[in-house]
Amino acid sequence: MRRVAIVGAGMTSFGEHFSRGIKELIPMALGEALASVDKGMDRRDIGAAWLGEVGTTDGFGAGILADSCGLLDIPVTRTENACATGQDIIRQAIYAIASGYVDVVAAVGADKVRDTSSSSTFWDWMAQTRDMAWDFPLGLLAPANFALHASRYLHEAPATREHMAMIAVKNHFHGVKNPKAQLRNEITVEQVLKAPLVAEPFGMFDCTPQSDGAATVLLVAEEHVARYTDRPVWVLGFGLGIDRVMHQHKRDMTSFTCTVKAAKAAYAMAGLGPRDIDFAEVHDCFTAVELISYEDLGFAERFCAHKLVEARDHYVGGRIPINPSGGLKSKGHPPGATGVAQCVEIFEQLRGQSHNQIDGARVGLAHNIGGPTAASGITILGKSRP
Amino acid sequence: MGMTIGTYLPPWGTSDGRVLGYDEDALTMAVEAARLVVDAGAAVSRVVFVSRELPLLEGGNTAPLLAALRLPDTLEVVEQIGGAPAVLDALMSAAPSTLVVAVDAVAPAGAAAALIGARNPLTFAGRAQRSLPQRTRLADGHSYRDDDPRLMRESGVRTSLAAAQLAEKPLVMAGASARDAAAWSAAGAPTLPTLGASSTLFALAALVDSSRSGLVAAIEQAALSAATFAAAGSTVRRHERTPQKAVVRKRSPGGDIKLSLAAYDRAFKSKVGWQAGQCTSCGLMSIPPRFHCLGCGADDQWTLAALPRTGTVYTTTTIHVPVPSLESPYTLAVVECDGTDVRSLMHVTDVPPGRVAIGAHGRLVLRRVAMRTGVPDYGHAFSPDPAASLTAAGGAT
Repeated sequence: MRRVAIVGAGMTSFGEHFSRGIKELIPMALGEALASVDKGMDRRDIGAAWLGEVGTTDGFGAGILADSCGLLDIPVTRTENACATGQDIIRQAIYAIASGYVDVVAAVGADKVRDTSSSSTFWDWMAQTRDMAWDFPLGLLAPANFALHASRYLHEAPATREHMAMIAVKNHFHGVKNPKAQLRNEITVEQVLKAPLVAEPFGMFDCTPQSDGAATVLLVAEEHVARYTDRPVWVLGFGLGIDRVMHQHKRDMTSFTCTVKAAKAAYAMAGLGPRDIDFAEVHDCFTAVELISYEDLGFAERFCAHKLVEARDHYVGGRIPINPSGGLKSKGHPPGATGVAQCVEIFEQLRGQSHNQIDGARVGLAHNIGGPTAASGITILGKSRP
Repeated sequence: MGMTIGTYLPPWGTSDGRVLGYDEDALTMAVEAARLVVDAGAAVSRVVFVSRELPLLEGGNTAPLLAALRLPDTLEVVEQIGGAPAVLDALMSAAPSTLVVAVDAVAPAGAAAALIGARNPLTFAGRAQRSLPQRTRLADGHSYRDDDPRLMRESGVRTSLAAAQLAEKPLVMAGASARDAAAWSAAGAPTLPTLGASSTLFALAALVDSSRSGLVAAIEQAALSAATFAAAGSTVRRHERTPQKAVVRKRSPGGDIKLSLAAYDRAFKSKVGWQAGQCTSCGLMSIPPRFHCLGCGADDQWTLAALPRTGTVYTTTTIHVPVPSLESPYTLAVVECDGTDVRSLMHVTDVPPGRVAIGAHGRLVLRRVAMRTGVPDYGHAFSPDPAASLTAAGGAT
């Protein structure tokens, strides 16, 4: 099996791109990734491409990528794995390269959430992601989906809504410096706690905004890396974890089992543990999801995630900076692009080019969780060749 | 043995009249009342379902009624449009082990059911089929009203009572306004919570509770039936909680919630009958039923097994944002059925949204979970026990 490195990464800004469609966002992200390759890359070098897209704005995704980017002569596949889509297309790209079939792969994540009304977007998606007879008619919206976990977690753990709010505050603080972020303003704990309720215990400021955007990473087989850069970012490990699709079948809702499974696989492949991770991009679609994930990823002991928050260990400059990009909360969350954008941030951090640079960062972890809290993807990237 | 009467009043409204919960209709109310008399496993030979608000006018009411009551789907069910006199007629002509269910699904709302015992305690006493349609409701859904209470009192109630040639003043007059009932009944007539079909059974229940036997009249506009009732040997079971102010919920615009009728049909027996799939090899229960048993790995070896209809909240959330075609706010809970490890996601009902706490105990009751492209989608919801721990109003959990 060949080792795989990322040699280029780019993304559009995240936000409400009312003036641009998916056919523009995708080539924008690919173009920026190609431009980031130190020694240059001709798009004709790309041997295969994956599109990670959760919705299907303007139709057939694989064809739209090929057509809009001038990549009509290579195989292109669209993948949907809920909000774990981003890490999953990177995993598939790695499979393709490591197996020896392809040398250069473009992993492109994109979604155009705001082509539908803000009030109906997530409900429209629910029709495609819930059991039609049992869950769908109950109105199990995406926030409710995670809120059921958060309620039980707050019931069993010492954490409070204040700790959740402190995560939103931290992610906005980080996002202010990110020129690609959607919400570049600082907020306070009091604002979070006083915001209108969405799905208890989540208020509006516990929730990610709705975003459009695209992101791309260019992955290359080890023997071709030197053609493109002298400072690649190496894939150290990855994992994809799946859990039961209905909440009533999840025995312990204080944890995300899919994340635990994905982390176990990724750490084992990398030969690393949580203490070896210098920083992470953690899926914070809702504040409590980031909080609980600290435990699932091994950054905190069980039911002790709030201590990490209280110590401000999750800030840039802290013990384990989380979401230096601003996270989904500040940067935005176009689901297919989210995971890829996390890896864009890690790529830039490990090359010392981030807007919010972490000193001495050598290993970073990207984490997604999605669907009915049933799919998690994790990618561990490093500065040194494994 | 006379009859067993079950009465149900929605927990919403005021003491002057109850209103339906947003997730109730005539069918769910029928089940609430009838469960009080059939849950103990009593034999039922025939069902008569009387209401002027049958949810489906092209068929489809009887199967959910039988499934939710866990009665055989081979029973004869008479779906009858009628008011108080129709119910009295159905009761007095009913054979032993007939279940008569009567529902008023417009305010003042209520439902009642009676299971006839070995000896029918009602005997015919008089009838007058007269027409004075001051209120009408037509097939196109329009209703008209010509309120003239004096005309109704004189040419309606008084004339029909005379036409029926009753021997004396009835002890109670179901279906009449409180004023008319007081004017034409014997002293001490009970006040009834409803005015339509169910009022006849509320009247009989009141007589049983006060051990009074005698003449009972039921009237709907000018149509009247009367019977003699022997209260001894009958029993009453009531599910009538203190009324609370109906919650203001906002229904958001948007198309109906899509429905796959095939998926509806596959889930029906399990969802409406509240039955798990149980593996015939290892006994593991799962809701919804699974093709592949997670206990022993058997494929397609399952049968339906009734689940307990009580449980405890494992976790909960309340959705405050508008959701197209649903009514916000609403509360969801994952509930673990008593004595099993089977859990299910369901709505919380009968209390204002956001009031149920983790650990609360309650009943699982049939509710109309959603209206989906014209089809009432029935399933079970969690109704916390009156003593269950509730969180403070308006507070986030």
